Amino acid sequence: MHPFKEAIRAETRRQFFGTAAKGIGGLALANLLAHDAFALPQTSQATDAIGGLPSLPHFAPTAKRCIYLHMMGAPPQMDLLDHKPGMKDWYDKDLPESIRQGQRLTTMTSGQSRFPIAPSVFEFSQHGQSGAWFSELLPHTASMADDIAIIRSMHTDAINHEPAITFIQTGQQIPGRPCIGSWFAYGLGSMNENLPTFVVMNAERSHPRAGVQAISAKLWSAGFLSPEYAGVGLRTGADPVLYLKDPDGVSTAVRREMLDGLSELNRLRHAQVGDPETLARIEQYEMAFKMQTSVPEMADLSSEPDSTFERWGEEAKQAGKFQNAALMARRLVERGVRFVQIYHRGWDVHSYAPQVLPAQARDVDRAAWALIQDLKERGLFDETLVIWGGEFGRTIYSQGRLTPTDYGRDHHPRCYSLWMAGGGVKGGVVHGETDEFSYNIVKDPVHIRDFQATILHLFGIDHERFTHDHRGLQARLTGVLPARVVHEVVA
Amino acid sequence: MCCLAATVVSGGSSPLAAQESVRTVDFQREVRPILADNCFQCHGPDPSTRRAGLRLDTRDGALGARPRGAAVVPADLEASLLYERITQRNDRVRMPPPALSNKTLSDEQIDVLKRWIEEGASWDQHWSFAEITRPDPPAVADEAWVRNPLDQFVLARLEAAQLRPAPEADRRTIARRVALDLTGLPPDPGMLASFLSDTSDQAYEGLVDRLLDSRHWGEHRARYWLDAARYGDTHGIHIDNYREMYAYRDWAIAAFNNNQPFDEFTLDQVAGDLLPEPSLDQLVATGFQRNNITTNEGGVVPEEYEAIYAKDRAETIGSVFLGLTVGCATCHDHKFDPIAQREFYAMTAFFRNTTQYVMDGNVSDPPPILVVPDDDDRALWSQLRREAADIDGQLQARAASVEPMFVEWLTRGHHRELESPLDPAAELLTLALADADGPAVWLEGERRAITVHPGAVIEPGPNGHPVLMFDANSWAELPSLALDSDTPFSMALWIYQPEDEGNFVVAGQYDQQDGARGWAMTISSRQLSFRVTGARAAPGRGATSARVGPINTKRMPTGEWTHIVVTHDGTAERGGLHVYQNGELVEEQGSEFFAKAEGSILTDQPFYLGRGDATSSTGEPEVRHFGGGGIADVRLFNRALTVDEAQIVFQWRALQRAAAKSPEALTGDERDTLRLRYLSIEDDEYRRLVARKQEIEREWREVRRRGSVTHVMQERPDSEPDAHVLIRGMYDQLGARVVAGTPAALPPMAESLPRNRLGLARWLVDEANPLTTRVTVNRFWQQVFGTGLVETSEDFGAQGALPSHPALLDWLAVDFRESGWDVKQFFRTVVTSATYRQAATTTPDKLERDPQNRLVSRGPHFRMDAEMVRDTALAASGLLVRTIGGPSVKPYQPPGVWSTVAMPQSNTRRYEQDTGDKLYRRSLYTFWKRSAPPPSMDIFNAPTREHSTVRRVRTNTPLQALVTMNDTQFVEASRHLAQRAMREAGDDFDRRLDYVTTRLLARDFTPEERAVAKRTYGRFIDAYRGDPDEARSLLAVGDSPFDAALPVTDSAAWTMLASQVMNLDEVLNK
Repeated sequence: MHPFKEAIRAETRRQFFGTAAKGIGGLALANLLAHDAFALPQTSQATDAIGGLPSLPHFAPTAKRCIYLHMMGAPPQMDLLDHKPGMKDWYDKDLPESIRQGQRLTTMTSGQSRFPIAPSVFEFSQHGQSGAWFSELLPHTASMADDIAIIRSMHTDAINHEPAITFIQTGQQIPGRPCIGSWFAYGLGSMNENLPTFVVMNAERSHPRAGVQAISAKLWSAGFLSPEYAGVGLRTGADPVLYLKDPDGVSTAVRREMLDGLSELNRLRHAQVGDPETLARIEQYEMAFKMQTSVPEMADLSSEPDSTFERWGEEAKQAGKFQNAALMARRLVERGVRFVQIYHRGWDVHSYAPQVLPAQARDVDRAAWALIQDLKERGLFDETLVIWGGEFGRTIYSQGRLTPTDYGRDHHPRCYSLWMAGGGVKGGVVHGETDEFSYNIVKDPVHIRDFQATILHLFGIDHERFTHDHRGLQARLTGVLPARVVHEVVA
Repeated sequence: MCCLAATVVSGGSSPLAAQESVRTVDFQREVRPILADNCFQCHGPDPSTRRAGLRLDTRDGALGARPRGAAVVPADLEASLLYERITQRNDRVRMPPPALSNKTLSDEQIDVLKRWIEEGASWDQHWSFAEITRPDPPAVADEAWVRNPLDQFVLARLEAAQLRPAPEADRRTIARRVALDLTGLPPDPGMLASFLSDTSDQAYEGLVDRLLDSRHWGEHRARYWLDAARYGDTHGIHIDNYREMYAYRDWAIAAFNNNQPFDEFTLDQVAGDLLPEPSLDQLVATGFQRNNITTNEGGVVPEEYEAIYAKDRAETIGSVFLGLTVGCATCHDHKFDPIAQREFYAMTAFFRNTTQYVMDGNVSDPPPILVVPDDDDRALWSQLRREAADIDGQLQARAASVEPMFVEWLTRGHHRELESPLDPAAELLTLALADADGPAVWLEGERRAITVHPGAVIEPGPNGHPVLMFDANSWAELPSLALDSDTPFSMALWIYQPEDEGNFVVAGQYDQQDGARGWAMTISSRQLSFRVTGARAAPGRGATSARVGPINTKRMPTGEWTHIVVTHDGTAERGGLHVYQNGELVEEQGSEFFAKAEGSILTDQPFYLGRGDATSSTGEPEVRHFGGGGIADVRLFNRALTVDEAQIVFQWRALQRAAAKSPEALTGDERDTLRLRYLSIEDDEYRRLVARKQEIEREWREVRRRGSVTHVMQERPDSEPDAHVLIRGMYDQLGARVVAGTPAALPPMAESLPRNRLGLARWLVDEANPLTTRVTVNRFWQQVFGTGLVETSEDFGAQGALPSHPALLDWLAVDFRESGWDVKQFFRTVVTSATYRQAATTTPDKLERDPQNRLVSRGPHFRMDAEMVRDTALAASGLLVRTIGGPSVKPYQPPGVWSTVAMPQSNTRRYEQDTGDKLYRRSLYTFWKRSAPPPSMDIFNAPTREHSTVRRVRTNTPLQALVTMNDTQFVEASRHLAQRAMREAGDDFDRRLDYVTTRLLARDFTPEERAVAKRTYGRFIDAYRGDPDEARSLLAVGDSPFDAALPVTDSAAWTMLASQVMNLDEVLNK
């Protein structure tokens, strides 16, 4: 390879990956370059991907896209997916020490003199061929019993939100590591022409009393991977991408004139100085211009037929609502976005759980169902992994005052439930079991690392071999401790 | 594996390796990286993962005798087992093991090791740990090109690579470059013009000196430093509230502007507080170590975060001064560098002997803090401090001198006649639970019955005094008191804290329907808090409160009675509130120092004991009665009690018991309390002095209001720095205890140095320490040339890159140290060199042979950092407000960036954009919320400042284009630049264009460029002529008004043209 061309190619590749993940329009740039000498070869074995590592995937993937619905604040498993009928008899009795086993408590309840058991006030019933139990709060999810795999034996190392959410997103409790979406952007590259590889959205809480936890840029940061692999925040509402809109008084025609002149001036500069970066910058401005069209098109729900909103409900039209973000997620994966992360806030139920949970669940239950129906109709479900769950579980005992109709629940890292569907996940599975208090796991524990290894597996990635050299070590999402793929939930 | 090492070892085509390959194999450059990358993981410093007991990171390990023979036998390939193993064909025997390590040596790497052994297996210390000596500048062929010794090093490499330096940049280009490098701003047109007209030999040097003298120099250098220091304006995680820290930022600016020697700069930041009689500045400097992110998350276990803070501080010292990734040894010995796990924890020990409490309380000023008075107040500040100390002396003297009178007072038996703890006139209200006619209060001398709700019981408490105990549904109602914002008052009472950890209102008088206006004493999770709350500013708006409470460590003990006094000095300000616990003034926390209850706190609601009407965070009513709690001996006074008086009230029970005693029978404590009472109530002179002290406190507060507060370091006086090894890095898995110390592989700390931060600081800048100077000059080089001589400026260890010019690095390091760590002198040397003055022009030949410009075969040319891009736009447009320092500002930011991620209770939830001058300050003053940094900076690769960053990544993305095209700041700046050009450059198109390009590029456009600009301008004019409303819309972007005297169409077209120029690659690049 000619070194001069190699240098330009190296430059261009860097720019290109930048656009592929952080910005917009990877393939379009590839197309622009397709007829010149430095055109990019397909670098990933996945024939539909741009960028990514040549070594990936390690084996045939079942999932190509992921929509990760994170319930920020940690939903209580015993009110939703982990049915504990025996607890009715334990109302207001103390959690036996034999169960608690000196478990570390948060300082919010460590001073409590009692740990009175609060049975769920919600009814449960069995659904689907698997006969899985679902709370009355999740009727739509229940109707998909045979499409989803429920893991009831998730457990984590962290007991507070900041470290726990950082852990499940990045594989480490302390900020600084790449998040799971950025690992995918880095490893598998982009599948679309003019949208980011990895998109992040926030959805507001559904009940005014719902406890809210902070989210922050570190949850979608690329850590030690290059920043282009970080998630792009997509805002639901008027300005989906920051600074996307031209200023008032600048029409598309004026913008085009400005860009034409700019590009000409930059080319003159390049002729003088010869820095390949200048050429790359010209392309970035062109990509920006394209984004100004493609992003609003994606975000414009007016093209959705009425049937969409009949299925999703009117909330799907409201910016900020979970339903809206989930619908946007469907539109994003339809357009080839690889990883969509949604944070639904308001699950930190230290108090008023019986009041808060119906509203919180109502929003996510129907939307998750609608999302999966839409994916199925479009033939995307088989290749799209959908995940629903939080960062840890909650205690069977009440935090604060317990009454027959009111209780709160503290953080609980030892067990919790989540579900996965599509993308090669085996439907109709319930994996793992907890004790009668939903306090300890009695069968098939799944650690955060196992969960991460399983997600990677569905994408055809061996978590032990997917590494990035960082400070001399081969860093990986699942860290240095052993992790196991949960084959029981893999089809 | 680092890129540079890869280039060096993998092929002769690399220019960096080009001249090396003709010589013998270089252990440092070629051999050690291969061993480090491929072998150290199992044969390195970490014994826990070491296989076969073999070490290849030390000479003894590699060359030493072993049962089956040494791994490496110099000059004997056949006997060298290492060579045998790496050349095995059998996968199961070959090293590194393919299955386990995922690593394979290339043929070139094997060849390097082969030749190295054949040539005698020379072994040197890792390059960066080696002692530095000043190398002689190498001889060069083209001596005429050389301007200073730096150039010899660069030119020698270029000549070896058969490259010619680029021609010298033209004067305008170099003026722009040097202004940007030294001040972060494009050259002022006046300065540019005088430089261009100066034909003397020293014209350029003169320009450099002027720029070094500019106060913007310090801002620009500090801006880089703030990344390293991880400076931010919020705590960084969870609620991520405001943190008042900007005095540290301003200190850094001043330190660079004053050209403080870098060794002192280091000393002050690492250990300013431990220096003898530290100055205010030296204390402020220690904020360097308070910049780390802190938490107050509800469930946090303090020990865990104590460990995290110490780790962050040790890692920051590691990367900023030593260029070492010491944090890699958190869980195990470092895999590549000689840093054992216990050595890492010995480094964390330096930071574990702090008085700082882990939980930041979500307040802006968690202790230890320091008040930083305004410059104008510094004299007054010292005077007040002197006077306060003076008064303390006088009080003591007065107490001693009145002893005879006090004895007389006792002898006369006055202590037997006491009816109230203080003078009766001070008593506003006194609770009388055991009154014969039923529970009552004495209100200004008048008995008033009170209502005790059923469920609350009056019973004898400890010592037989009556107490009022509540259940969850009961309270007592007292008469309403007329307490307003300007009413000084104090409240004293005994409180029984139940086992329940809940949230309670203990006492209060407030109107829940009116934004809780009034005052209340509450307990939440055993933390007491007292607030005064003013009126709502407007319907629907919240009322403001001032709140005070003991710091987290002073929680109410459960199942016990605690005496509490709260005082209010009639200012309704947090600073005017105090809390005393069992007679002692407690260290306070709980709200912002200057928080003030605005408007009146007066309410006609009843005064309740034990009743809690509250509103949840979601606005719903909540009951927080004091169920299980108890109250006794409630007293309100009509003044803010003094420290002595709070003690007397606390001791009142004891004084009453003492009344039965003769003076001789009094215990020492009783006598002391009586003496305090005598002084405080009976002695006018003592009272006068105390009153003056209270006045000083108020004056002091005024000074504090005008100044700021900053976070500082403070050692615990009663313990030595130590730590435990944390097994696998887990905070609760304590291993061996270690004392503070530095890694053994580096030159030792002198015996004479204390084993604390001061010792660490002196060791860092010790002449024998080879790292601090190398790392520092490398980072400065990186600021100018875009890449350090060592590309991995954060890592000078075995996994870091090797220096492109090792001798130059050492020459610069020694020169820097010998100049007295003179930062300005260092930059002067760099920017006056011929190397620096090269044009940025590249050629296909150079792109081929020096693609990244690591050989500096041309001038630096790279995209500027976020701050420089924005500051350039502000400066060129004339909008820039050049004020130095002060509180951080909130310029334009798209809506929702903060609110969508923040917690509802965060005080940085809503971004309240500033107006006026604050929109146009330099970017290093932009408010840095660490969980949502300013997006226009983030998009241009500014770090979040959660951790220390010494090297920014530089990407080139469409989002960046969107910022400079569409961000209000840039559009408004384009308009200002355009309208200024129209006003100041006359009507001629070309002169106006020159005006614009001179400010942005320090040059005029070429005829070709002019043609493009003219044509585009014509199209803009056509577009806006057809639609003047559009033109007006464009001109209305931004807060500042447009100049309506100028024609609208032309203004809009010129705005677009200015924006076009502002978006040029050349403008975005340095």
